[in-house]
Amino acid sequence: MLKPILLVEDNPRDLELTLVALERSQLANEVIVLRDGAEALDYLFRRGAHAQRVEGHPAVLLLDLKLPKVDGLEVLKAVRETAQLSSLPVVMLTSSKEEPDLQRAYQLGVNAYVVKPVNFKAFVSAISDLGVFWAVLNEPPPGSLRLQRPAKP
Amino acid sequence: MTSSESVAVLAAAIEQCAKEPIHTPGSIQPQGFMLVLQPGTFTVLQASDNLSHWLGVGAQQVLGQALGSLLAEGGSLLSQLAALADGDKHPVHAGDVRFSYAAQRTFAVMAHSHDGVVFAEFEPASDVAGAYGHLYPFVRTFVGQTQEMGDLTELCQLAVQEIKRITGFGRVKAYRFDTDGNGWVLAEQADPGYPSFLGLWFPAADIPAQARELYVANRIRVIEDANYRPSALVPPLNPLTGRPLDMSHAALRSVSPVHLQYMRNMGTLASMSLSIVVRGRLWGLVSCHNQAPRAVGFQARMACELLGSVLSLQIEARETDANTQRLLGLRQSIVRMLSAMADRDSVPEGLKALPDTLIGFAGAQGAAVYSESSCELFGTTPGTDQVEALALWLSSRSLGTQQVFHSDNVGRDIPELPRLAESIAGVLAVAISELHNHYLVWFRVEQRRTVTWAGRPEKEWAGGTVLNPRSSFEQWQETVSGHCRAWEPMIIEGALELRMAVLGIVLRKAEEVAQLARDLKKSNKELEAFSYSVSHDLRAPLRHIVGYAELLNDFERSNLSERGLRFLEHIGESARFAGTLVDNLLSFSQMGRSALRLSDVDLGALVDATRRELAPDYAGREVAWQIEPLPRVIADAAFIHLALRNLLANAIKYTRDRAPAVIRIGAQQQGAEVIVYVKDNGVGFDMAYAGKLFGVFQRLHRMEEFEGTGIGLASVRRIIERHEGRVWAEGVLGEGATFYFALPKRD
Repeated sequence: MLKPILLVEDNPRDLELTLVALERSQLANEVIVLRDGAEALDYLFRRGAHAQRVEGHPAVLLLDLKLPKVDGLEVLKAVRETAQLSSLPVVMLTSSKEEPDLQRAYQLGVNAYVVKPVNFKAFVSAISDLGVFWAVLNEPPPGSLRLQRPAKP
Repeated sequence: MTSSESVAVLAAAIEQCAKEPIHTPGSIQPQGFMLVLQPGTFTVLQASDNLSHWLGVGAQQVLGQALGSLLAEGGSLLSQLAALADGDKHPVHAGDVRFSYAAQRTFAVMAHSHDGVVFAEFEPASDVAGAYGHLYPFVRTFVGQTQEMGDLTELCQLAVQEIKRITGFGRVKAYRFDTDGNGWVLAEQADPGYPSFLGLWFPAADIPAQARELYVANRIRVIEDANYRPSALVPPLNPLTGRPLDMSHAALRSVSPVHLQYMRNMGTLASMSLSIVVRGRLWGLVSCHNQAPRAVGFQARMACELLGSVLSLQIEARETDANTQRLLGLRQSIVRMLSAMADRDSVPEGLKALPDTLIGFAGAQGAAVYSESSCELFGTTPGTDQVEALALWLSSRSLGTQQVFHSDNVGRDIPELPRLAESIAGVLAVAISELHNHYLVWFRVEQRRTVTWAGRPEKEWAGGTVLNPRSSFEQWQETVSGHCRAWEPMIIEGALELRMAVLGIVLRKAEEVAQLARDLKKSNKELEAFSYSVSHDLRAPLRHIVGYAELLNDFERSNLSERGLRFLEHIGESARFAGTLVDNLLSFSQMGRSALRLSDVDLGALVDATRRELAPDYAGREVAWQIEPLPRVIADAAFIHLALRNLLANAIKYTRDRAPAVIRIGAQQQGAEVIVYVKDNGVGFDMAYAGKLFGVFQRLHRMEEFEGTGIGLASVRRIIERHEGRVWAEGVLGEGATFYFALPKRD
């Protein structure tokens, strides 16, 4: 009963590469992909298209900083301001460590961030480390839903 | 007697003289008589003792009587007196009268009101119509000719001539006072047998302060006979006030016995003086003397008084005109200097461009523009060290709200800097910054001059209350040294005006700088936004290229030819390099923007840490590290770390072919700097390219020789310059290179 990993990423190339990286890290968790901040909030708060989803929180939220509609920081803020979600681990994905928004992310209570390295191997290892740490090693917060890892086709 | 002793004695004498209450002598000169009347009733309060001589009646007998009851003819006098306004201080001719006593004599009455009483002064009447017919042409001639006179001397000469013709005195001279009160004779007309005083100086002590005040209040004074016997007032005190009567404006007022002695010493028994009053100040005197006693009728006096007024007005007009011209000249100079400063956008540069205007502006012989960083000298000035000492001296004393200092004798006024007086005598300085010790200074050289005094400028004070006037009128020469021409008030005023204008320019510049800072901040923000999008948007596609190239390599390796695999590898390498380039550029621009976080940095510890970080770069190589003791500095630790990392990485990189590679790191204190160097025995560089080393994207090696983005040394330079330090390098091709950076010592 592993909780899913929630990946919010708008860029299709980054999405594909991140999914490959997650795949290579051999995590057993299901990966749920959302493409913008608004969709992420709908999922987290079980509303809109996700109103009917099964209850429970993901193991970790991998959140791109720059997102259409509602950006990563706003999603993070909403998560931290909601009692049931406040202990959800959030990892920020960013293009560069120079981004001034990173500071803001820390103020808002991000758990970690990953600078997507140009070097793909480094990226795979970073994602893998984070995934293992947050999805496997961490004690899940209370109320987390453990899902069965979907059987491989 | 030395000069300073004589000055002290003289000062004591003047002080003594100035205590004499000359406006309340309690007596009159005997060429007429005086009745002091109660205003309104015109009853007699006081009478001069010589009434018996003129009217054959004792003064006591007329006291308390109404003036009207004493007159035989001239009843209109009473209505004239009644018309006198209180405080009508200048005696006016109120008509001619006869008294019931000595009824055959006609007297002219001069009346004025002062000190709460009415003064009636009587003197023998003359033929009024004849006198006017005689005097009027003189005055008319004078007024007509004043316009034709070129300068003040000619004007005064004309006045002297006319006054001599009107009064018939043996010698008439005009003199003007300098700022110290000494009088200089600038015009004179004298009969044979009278000594000439033209061009001579009369010491200030000749006319005590209270006498100067009287000269301003009462502009004509006649002494018909220095041997006169004063006639006392009866009773001696003003019965209305119980005090001595203030006779400041009375024509017959008795004068100080000291003055009479002075006249006798000069060999003249009659005198008349006319005040030249310009803008309320005693500018000069027309002084008339006669060897024998001489009477001056009131008509002649009035004509002279009128002439004196015209002369005063003429002088005032000319001085005003001259002042206006000079002021205009000063303003023009100020405008010229200001526009030069504005053109060059710099106060010192602007002034430097117009040295003659700067010096001439203040009628000086030299000038200095002093700031804490520079000291520009123009014309005749003391040496730079003396000017700097002067600036220090100025800054040590408050210049007051006026922010100006001036001295016409630096030897006297700045005893702390005795060497100043070796080259100059006068200093005028204004502060031209509210914050810093910046000054404009003008210098005047010594003007040694010889003053010819009309006798020694000293009175003989025998102690006690009796002062003897000087008896010597022999010429006496004095050399005045250590002085320059006194700084004219107008020039001091002009210097202050220039100061205000300069402050205005400085203020405007400060505003411009503030605006520039605002603009810079804005463009910095834009640059930041730009950097941000570069980092985000440029990195993403590079990342994708690398990622897909690796994936292609992983998944499709078996389908690719040897060449295809090599191409794929190059694609990956190029994209990774581009990514590094973007990262380095970003951190480089970051260095220029972020604030320094200064702290105590242990350079030795930092070098150790950096070496450990770089260990993978020289793993397996033979490197001899020679690390000297390194000091602690106040700097931004993260930035200095980055700079050291770049320098050490370079040293490791460029010694790659050496075995052993020798890398030496050391430091030395030099003046206000700490100099750190990193020396290697690597490939070195040609000094011809030394200037290019620290530029962005400047590389001296081909990529296949030594990899790199060409940003490392540019970053080092930027970091060190952010610390207000400097960087440089020395190298010999094939032998090695030494890179230096110097950091200013901070507290």
